[in-house]
Parts: sequence; structure tokens; C-alpha cells
Amino acid sequence: MKLTHWILALGATGLLALGAGHGYGLLATPAEASMGETGRILYLHVPTAWVAMLAFTVAFLAAIGSLWSGKATWDLSMESGIEVGMVFSVLICIQGPIWAYPTQNYWWTWDPRLTTTAIMVVAFTGVLVMRRLIHQHERRMAATAVATIVSWVNVPVVYFSVEWWDSVHQDLSQVSSVDRVMLIPLLVSLAGTSLLGTAFFLARYRVARARYLTEEVAPELPDLPEQLELEDSP
Amino acid sequence: MNGVVEGGWAYVIAAYSITWAAWAVYGVSLWLRNRQESS
Repeated sequence: MKLTHWILALGATGLLALGAGHGYGLLATPAEASMGETGRILYLHVPTAWVAMLAFTVAFLAAIGSLWSGKATWDLSMESGIEVGMVFSVLICIQGPIWAYPTQNYWWTWDPRLTTTAIMVVAFTGVLVMRRLIHQHERRMAATAVATIVSWVNVPVVYFSVEWWDSVHQDLSQVSSVDRVMLIPLLVSLAGTSLLGTAFFLARYRVARARYLTEEVAPELPDLPEQLELEDSP
Repeated sequence: MNGVVEGGWAYVIAAYSITWAAWAVYGVSLWLRNRQESS
């Protein structure tokens, strides 16, 4: 099966699961006991955060692989993981305030979970900027792999921040803490978002690979002088 | 603190709409970038 077929299959399955999970969560489950209707953002926010952290962890493992082996595949996987992680991280930074305002009466506060999430977004943005600025392939691979590993150290801190410090954010979601009627759409949405994230990752990898092959196989020709002159011209 | 948040559907719709729209835009951008890089 070609990569394109995998991307389409995973993306379509993910969208179907998301449609089912979100549809069920929005239309068939009761409102949450204290957050009311806004509790339905759970089925969106938790899976998005999960995929963001998963994508950054894939990038972290790929960074180790690229430093270890020096192979372009790891480097391109790292780049893809970071970009997909960024898309989902920015989304949790939008969903969070939309959920916080009606339930806690503020859009943003410098709470440990929110602050460490903001640091995560800024750090990985920095890695992507580095990749734009360094043009020599080997240097770019090594420098951004180290930067990715350093940036990833914050990811477990984001996850455990609600346990390590006093936080206004909800505690870690556990299967035992979620009512069964809410757990089913949450797990279906989690599966759908994971499949969609995987499809995005593979599609982004395909773009990175095509660009890499263009750079390596057919490097850019040097610019021609503006005015061409024949050597034996008078 | 006791009580239930009243209403709130507007926030739910906003969160879901923005997320689905962002996924759609990112998916299309990946498709276009792949087409551009492969040509």
C-alpha cells in the first residue's frame, strides 16, 4: 500500500470516528454536572492535547534517531512531528480559553499548566524557525535535533503540572474519573483524533521528503548574471 | 462553589468550529504543499 493510500485511509477513518465521537458527545450525552453544556468541550480538548503531546514525543524520538544515525528519514520525521504538534498545541491554546471563560470567568491566567503549555508552543516554534534559518542539511539536522530534545523536556512537565503544583486547571483525566456515558464518546474522539493526527504526520512527512529529494537530487542552480556576454565579443 | 453553568452552547460551537476549520485548512495546505513540492 502506497503512502498516499495510508494517508487517505487513516484520514478518512479518523474523520468518521471523529464525526461519531463528536456527534455522540454533542447530541446524545447529558450536560456535565457543574460545567453544563460547556463540558462537551471535553471530547475536543482532551484528544487534541493528547495528539499534541504524542506528536512532540514522536519528534523527540526522531531527534534521538537522527543524532544517532544521521539518516534523513529521522530528520524529516522530526520536522513532521513538530509541525503537527504545533497545529494541535495552538488549537489547545484556543480551546482552553473558550472553555475557561464561561466556567471560570477568565480567558487566560498564568497557571502552571497554561504557562508550561505556552512555553512548549514557544520552544517548538523556535525549533521550526531554526529549521528555516539553517540551510546546510547536516548542520540543520544536528542543531534542531538538540533543540527538539531540549524543548521536549518540558512536555512531561506540562502533563504533570496539575499534579506537581496548585493549578486552576482540571486534574489529569482518568478512565475512573469520567462517567461511562461520557467515556465512550471521549474514547471514540481520542481514537479519531489520533488517526487524523497520524494522517497529518504522514502527509507532512511526504511533503518534507519531496522537498528533501529536490534539494539533494537537484540542488538549486546558481543565479545567472543579469547580462550575459560572449567571451570573444569586442 | 456550587451551581451549574447556564447556557454555554455558543462556546461549545465556537470551539468545535474553530478546531474543525483549522484541521480542514491544515489538510488542504498539506495537499497543496505536496503538489507544489512534487511538481
